[in-house]
Amino acid sequence: MKRVIKGKDLSGLQVCSRCIYDETVPGIVFDQEGVCNYCRMLESLQEQYGTGTPRGEKALMEIIDRIKKEGRKKQYDCVVGVSGGTDSSFMVVKALEWGLRPLAAHYDNTWNTAIATQNIRKVLSKLKVDLYTHVIDNKEADDIIRAFFKASVPDLDCATDLALAETLYRAAGKYGIKYILEGHSFVTEGISPLGTLYMDGKYIRSVHRLFGTMPMKTFPNMPFGTFMKWVVLKRIKKIRPLWYINYSKAAARAYLEKEFGWEDYGGHHLENRITAFHHSYYNPAKFGTDNRNNSLAAAARAGLISREAAIKIYREPPYMEPELLEYFKKRLGFADEEFEKIMSLPRKTFRDYPTYKKRFERLRPLFYVLAKANLVPMSFYLKYTSKNEI
Amino acid sequence: MLRTRIIPCLLLRGESLVKTVNFRKFGYIGDPLNTCRIFNELEVDELAFLDITASREQRQPNFKILQEITNECFMPLSYGGGIRDLDTAERIFQIGFEKIVVNTASFTNPGIVSQLAQAFGSQSVIVALDVKKNLWGRYQVYSLSGTTNQKRDPVDWAREMEERGAGELLLTSIDREGTWKGFDLHLVRTVADALSIPVIAHGGCGSVADIGSVVHQAHASAVALGSMVVYQQQGMGVLVNFPEREHLQQILSAE
Amino acid sequence: MITIVNYGLGNLGSIFNMLKKIGFASKITSDLDEIAQAEKIILPGVGHFDRAMERLDQTELRKVLDHKALKEQVPLLGICLGMQLLTRGSEEGSLPGLGWVPAATRRFRFAADSPLKVPHMGWNVVHRSSASPLTAGFDGEFRFYFVHSYYVRVDDERHSILKTHHGLEFDAGIQKDNIFGVQFHPEKSHKFGMILLENFMRL
Repeated sequence: MKRVIKGKDLSGLQVCSRCIYDETVPGIVFDQEGVCNYCRMLESLQEQYGTGTPRGEKALMEIIDRIKKEGRKKQYDCVVGVSGGTDSSFMVVKALEWGLRPLAAHYDNTWNTAIATQNIRKVLSKLKVDLYTHVIDNKEADDIIRAFFKASVPDLDCATDLALAETLYRAAGKYGIKYILEGHSFVTEGISPLGTLYMDGKYIRSVHRLFGTMPMKTFPNMPFGTFMKWVVLKRIKKIRPLWYINYSKAAARAYLEKEFGWEDYGGHHLENRITAFHHSYYNPAKFGTDNRNNSLAAAARAGLISREAAIKIYREPPYMEPELLEYFKKRLGFADEEFEKIMSLPRKTFRDYPTYKKRFERLRPLFYVLAKANLVPMSFYLKYTSKNEI
Repeated sequence: MLRTRIIPCLLLRGESLVKTVNFRKFGYIGDPLNTCRIFNELEVDELAFLDITASREQRQPNFKILQEITNECFMPLSYGGGIRDLDTAERIFQIGFEKIVVNTASFTNPGIVSQLAQAFGSQSVIVALDVKKNLWGRYQVYSLSGTTNQKRDPVDWAREMEERGAGELLLTSIDREGTWKGFDLHLVRTVADALSIPVIAHGGCGSVADIGSVVHQAHASAVALGSMVVYQQQGMGVLVNFPEREHLQQILSAE
Repeated sequence: MITIVNYGLGNLGSIFNMLKKIGFASKITSDLDEIAQAEKIILPGVGHFDRAMERLDQTELRKVLDHKALKEQVPLLGICLGMQLLTRGSEEGSLPGLGWVPAATRRFRFAADSPLKVPHMGWNVVHRSSASPLTAGFDGEFRFYFVHSYYVRVDDERHSILKTHHGLEFDAGIQKDNIFGVQFHPEKSHKFGMILLENFMRL
């Protein structure tokens, strides 16, 4: 059965008057002006952080000064997560520009494209920045993906996201660093609804227990205790500089290409094959969701492209490297029939498995305090501790 | 003019790539095929794969992975690990490898080296010598991934292997492996000078300068790299890489 | 369709995969009908000259190839032993070769104490001897992976398109009209092999 992945056609659906999130986006609410709650959430974040204003820049510079001061006697004063992608590569450049002494950190889920590895190497070797990595046993990585595939949830590759967070903490922990810089920009990426990707350590352990076949030895999971250790005990802060200042992804990319011979890989998150498969095939085919609306909506919101142009792009099918589907099946050992059978299983969500969600909700006041102190991202507080499904 | 070969030597443990230090504790490097793709991009001239547990586990090479590797790599490949008979060797060649490496089998069945050389040509048969210093500072040859002391002197054993038809010698210093301290130049030189077949120096390379030393001072004909091509630097993270071609050329042509 | 002739000798998977990597579909086959319909043919080969000629002669394959090469004149590329088969004969064996290119295959002979080894095995640099569409874009130092004990010398220098040196100078690449031969293994010569195969595919 040759499945044809279509783009998303928004005609007939209510679409936000500012961005392009439509009524099928989980937890969406439209106000009287037809503007969605995600746009409002972003407005509020921009106000809070002073994005692109002198106030925001001043706030960021104060944080940078603090980072320098606290890291004075250490080998590195901050950790920057790198993936080979635009945002993280650019974050290393900016960190040096600001006079910081970063340690780059990478979680290798063993599905990287050669382009991603090359990009990391080109940028770090020219800038002379050291790299910390955690590489999972490739067989274990595959076992976890298989487990999530069989669990029939949209969070196919959430393990990588959590492992990255844990890896950054471990890098910080190893060298006594108190600050992690992340290249996330809510202006260019938006806030992705919780329904599209959920992750926590208990969720991964539960799914793996149910569907995994080999012990989890090299996967850097983050159980609740470990999470609290990093955040409350070690007090490692997460800073997202791009929340404070203006950021043009196109300009960043052009700079990287010129300075380092950095290569584009075709789209957000496509530098890693499992993430690419997740976004370009799995989600559209099984859940009818297409995560490109995050960046497209963000671009429309910021006025980088018109809403109409964004909607038009969204209607086209997502780009997928040819033979990615074959690679997925072959590497994970799925014959065609078995693959189709699992794809056709009834859809489930994280709510069908044991997770920390209820605990996060109960501890909402604590996480508010932690978010204000930059110990957890504000977006984590907004999404994970709220009882509403957003 | 044939150029000095610089060969990334990748260690297979089951179906994962790993890197060891002194043949002991290992760290994960990644998926073999993914890594091959990167070496393709880096335009590396030759690759060697060693399955470090095949002989210890008394099992066959993993033919499935080897076939996938040859499908991915567009340069000559060598394979070693668990090769003990001609049929296995033949299968490895048919899969698409250019050379095979034998270590343990050369001790348990010394005749095998001659048989392989006769059947497939000396040029396709590499004998691996893993060497460690004993408490009294004497070099000894080990087999079975460095676990069994064969109590042979490396020069004697190397000469015997050459006589039996080995086309090349992969000389690994267990003491230096994974340490970035540089090659054991004395060891390489004594063996290289005693043989007429090429010696591939392996174990301890920490920089391009080390490559220069082992070629010019220790007379190695080729160099195998381990840690240097899979880690960003000593003590830092995994990042597949290869020295700059111009830098290598500079070091290798200087004398 | 580009056909890679499978007559039992040579590692064909690598050639198929390199073509795939540069964006071209191909078919590995021993089926005479498929070969008869090929738009282009690749003739690989590793091993003994006589063994190879036997395989070609003893099946109808010889007839089909003669027709494709000489009558239909489709582009045909011989690789390694495949190039040596294009000549009139080899010192390795006693059987005549295909004889499509006026040339002979000889054995490397070096003194016992010579540093030069047989087979010629490793990467070596080639240089263009005559212009050819196969070597378009061969600017700068082009190197390829060789492994062979016998070498080819053309009768007429106009048929030599690439030369290399191993103790003596010999032909690394030859061409007569639609028939091409390369002594090295493009499928093992990464970026250089890809450029050469791409040139062949664009003929």
